[in-house]
Amino acid sequence: MTNTIIEFKNVTKQYDNDSPVLDHVSFEIERGKFYTLLGPSGCGKTTILRLIAGFTEASVGDIYFDGKKMNDVPANKRQVNTVFQDYALFPHLNVFENVAFGLRIKKLKESVIKQKVQEALTFVNLAGYENREIREMSGGQRQRVAIARAIVNEPEVILLDEPLSALDLKLRTEMQYELRELQRRLGITFIFVTHDQEEALAMSDEIFVLNRGKIQQSGTPIDIYDEPINRFVADFIGESNIVEGRMIEDYLVEFVGGRFECVDQGLNPNEAVEIVIRPEDLEITTKERGKLKVKVDSQLFRGVHYEISCYDEDQNEWLVHSTKKANVGDEIGLYFDPEAIHVMRFGESEADFDRRLEAYDHGDAHEQ
Amino acid sequence: MDKKNTPLSKLFLLIIFLILYAPIFFLIFYSFNSGGNMNHFKGFTLDWYKELFHDSRLLIIVLNTVLVALLSSLIACIVGTFGALGIHSIRKKRPKNALLALNNVLIVSSDVVVGASFLILFTLAGIKLGMGSVLLSHIAFSIPIVVLMVLPKLQEMSPSLIDAARDLGASRWNVVTKVIFPYITPGVFAGFFMALTYSLDDFAVTFFVTGNGFSTLSVEIYSLARRGISLNINALSALMFLVTMLLVVVYYFISQRNKSSRLGVKK
Repeated sequence: MTNTIIEFKNVTKQYDNDSPVLDHVSFEIERGKFYTLLGPSGCGKTTILRLIAGFTEASVGDIYFDGKKMNDVPANKRQVNTVFQDYALFPHLNVFENVAFGLRIKKLKESVIKQKVQEALTFVNLAGYENREIREMSGGQRQRVAIARAIVNEPEVILLDEPLSALDLKLRTEMQYELRELQRRLGITFIFVTHDQEEALAMSDEIFVLNRGKIQQSGTPIDIYDEPINRFVADFIGESNIVEGRMIEDYLVEFVGGRFECVDQGLNPNEAVEIVIRPEDLEITTKERGKLKVKVDSQLFRGVHYEISCYDEDQNEWLVHSTKKANVGDEIGLYFDPEAIHVMRFGESEADFDRRLEAYDHGDAHEQ
Repeated sequence: MDKKNTPLSKLFLLIIFLILYAPIFFLIFYSFNSGGNMNHFKGFTLDWYKELFHDSRLLIIVLNTVLVALLSSLIACIVGTFGALGIHSIRKKRPKNALLALNNVLIVSSDVVVGASFLILFTLAGIKLGMGSVLLSHIAFSIPIVVLMVLPKLQEMSPSLIDAARDLGASRWNVVTKVIFPYITPGVFAGFFMALTYSLDDFAVTFFVTGNGFSTLSVEIYSLARRGISLNINALSALMFLVTMLLVVVYYFISQRNKSSRLGVKK
């Protein structure tokens, strides 16, 4: 038995003659995992959700649910439920009736409805709120009613369309934990849409990074953070220092006028590449010991760390996250490990990229 | 901006309301006059009211008027609500605005023109003038009013509500009955009451399309007034005024109850 529950095969969505919202997208979603579709607004992430829910139809390509093609199955016949960005709770019904809506459509017995709604509300910590009107609930509570309304139907997949964006920061962080916990307890697939990369990194088993209607990269949060495939992903996920460079030979890369030891191999000699070094991988040291010499331009206190902006002789900006303070105007050195250098080829496909990274692992194993 | 009302502004308001209501109270006052004319008040009497209630022809006219008003508002409400749903569901801007404009033109166009055109239409179509023609024309001029009252409620409704209902398994019909209708009910009620008042006091359109043997109150009062002043008219007008006031009070309480019931427990 396959573990795949949803599959997109070459799906394109296009309105009239505009450029496509989704451009030949293919992916698989497995049972019981927490997925995040991450990308800037207009990247097509909500369109994917609407395609899965059945609110819109694919222009080209097929969508499979549990191995069956479901392009023409209407939204009310699909075994998925959605938590909407504005929650979309029915204002004329109270909390109980909102949650019971789907069950009443199915014409279940009153006693069964009552029991299921109670269970769902207890699940989201809202027991005792049955008779409240929606207007009387706070943002976080409405959010939970919306989740209860989705899970009470026992769907195989729950779709969440930026459900946390309307909450304040503290509540949002709390709800991130709650959602993740809920998904583990229910054991069903969650597909979560967000433009907030921190949210995506914190909650997901698997992230799809989207831009301009294409999936740029998919993988675990750690994969995507540590090994971004291209400039867009590196820039979008976390803070990055990105410079252009040249791969001299295996394990040796040249950028900003110096040659540095790295862990990448299998590229063409002298191939033009882009280099990513995360700000937290840069260490402040003296000018003599540093691999890079930079001048401190400005510094911001971020709470957990200082964010220090430096410039080298070629006016490349280097962002450093450090718990130690630096003095603006000082000339300092920056040190980094060979592992901190991440090399990106131009226009590399995700499949090639994965193959290359896999080869490194084998290479490492070979050396040991 | 929290200026206190000066005595002068209060006085101004008082005078305005006096001027607006004076003719009505003047008319009601003389409906109790035993003198038989409106020149001077001779003594208190309820004779005019008694006479009114003994005039079976007039009572039938009152019944007709109410019947036409209720029926026409009801039918207009149904047609108008579906019309509003239709207009709302149009995605393209141009045809949507065109339909809305056509709807609004019907509301602002002069009653005389509407009445005359109905008369021509009914005559051409061979429809006998009478209750049927009056009912048809009242339905026709009430529909745009209902559309106009329902449409804002539809526009204020978040489209994700419909998606949510579909998502939870509702069929298209379920979506309409379980989500859209409950949401727009206040608008439909407002439209019904508006249509009711428009129908009750319409004179011009009715005057054109009413035939021999069928009459509504406003047309009847007009013809009574042409025959000569009788305090009958005063009594009748006083009663109509009373009924209107009652309607306003009822409407007020309904809207109040709608507001407060949302606070309490509701099934």
